[in-house]
Amino acid sequence: MVNAAKLLQDLRASAERKPDVVVRLGKPLIDSGAVMKLDADAWLVYEQVAIAALDVGDDVLAHKCIQALEAKFPGSARVNRLNGMKFEAVGKLTEAAAIYKAILEEDETNVLAAKRQVMLLRAMGLPTDAISALVKYLDINYTDFEGWLQLADLYLEELMYGQAAFCMEEVLMLQSQNHIFHLKYAEILYTQENYQLALKQFCRVIELCKDHVRGLYGIKLCTSRLLKSAPSKDATATSQEDLKAIDLLATERLIAVYSANGAASTKSISTKWIECL
Amino acid sequence: MAVQQAPSQLGRIICLFGFLLLFHSGYSTFEHLSYLKAVDGHEAGLPLDITIELLMSVALFGLGIVLVADDFKEILMETEMAKQSIESLDARPSFYSFNHRGRAVFRNVVLKD
Repeated sequence: MVNAAKLLQDLRASAERKPDVVVRLGKPLIDSGAVMKLDADAWLVYEQVAIAALDVGDDVLAHKCIQALEAKFPGSARVNRLNGMKFEAVGKLTEAAAIYKAILEEDETNVLAAKRQVMLLRAMGLPTDAISALVKYLDINYTDFEGWLQLADLYLEELMYGQAAFCMEEVLMLQSQNHIFHLKYAEILYTQENYQLALKQFCRVIELCKDHVRGLYGIKLCTSRLLKSAPSKDATATSQEDLKAIDLLATERLIAVYSANGAASTKSISTKWIECL
Repeated sequence: MAVQQAPSQLGRIICLFGFLLLFHSGYSTFEHLSYLKAVDGHEAGLPLDITIELLMSVALFGLGIVLVADDFKEILMETEMAKQSIESLDARPSFYSFNHRGRAVFRNVVLKD
């Protein structure tokens, strides 16, 4: 039981979405009542298992968790949005909308309800309304990098790469040490065919996380594109020698990473393939 | 350190001894001071054996804590970040949407250990 509680806590910390694991660990805890031994953590576990149960389709378990939370925290907006999420999960979108609207009428600044409203609009099939709602939210809470990330994703779904790149820039202003955000920005730039800037961002990914394979591939793709096109007359552009040097470095690192694990036969194949990229 | 097979047990026992010594030396100090008060003596500082007992308890505590504590994390943020995956860094838990296949995939699956 202690093991299950620790694993659930790790999952809460890492924010990974693994609903089957959470339900598998949390359901016996909740059914047997052992969850109450966790004191303050018990309510976090209830919330976590409720959301996971909605993901997995176990509405009975979700209802049980939400009822336990409502008994402990009556009138709480945080518990009420779980009700809204339950309606969203079963497809009753109008009831969910009513719940979120009620929460926001009581408290205009409620962040959780505003975010759920955005996702509800997207679930209803109104992506442009979802985008406007999220933009309105971010006008007020511009330091919420999660919101900017979500806006970037919404724009990417609509294939609006310029706006998505802008959102990623906002994210990078708030969280500049995170290599995954640089990677996402780099890939959006590559899609926009802005190879110079994409190369810089891919290099930043490697700087922040040594030997990140996806970043190394990005570097190889960018350098191969830039070497094929005519040299730019722009003074700030990377010179051809630098491009070749970066390309060589990326190739070496990729071969090193792939040779570290794997049989001799795969080593030679992967080496040949990387050199042809 | 070499003693990593049973870190918590030995460490906990050592911490317990350290605490007992600390408690004992504190109690001895109290008794010593009340004895001095009873015979109207002047306070000439703590007797040597109580001091030694106190220092020993500090040493034992130090040893015990080192054995009981968890492994260190790396100082460079780079190594911690390298272990994180896109799934955990790009997750936006407040923005979950529920119109996905999960409900159908797990419909007839009984999730248990």
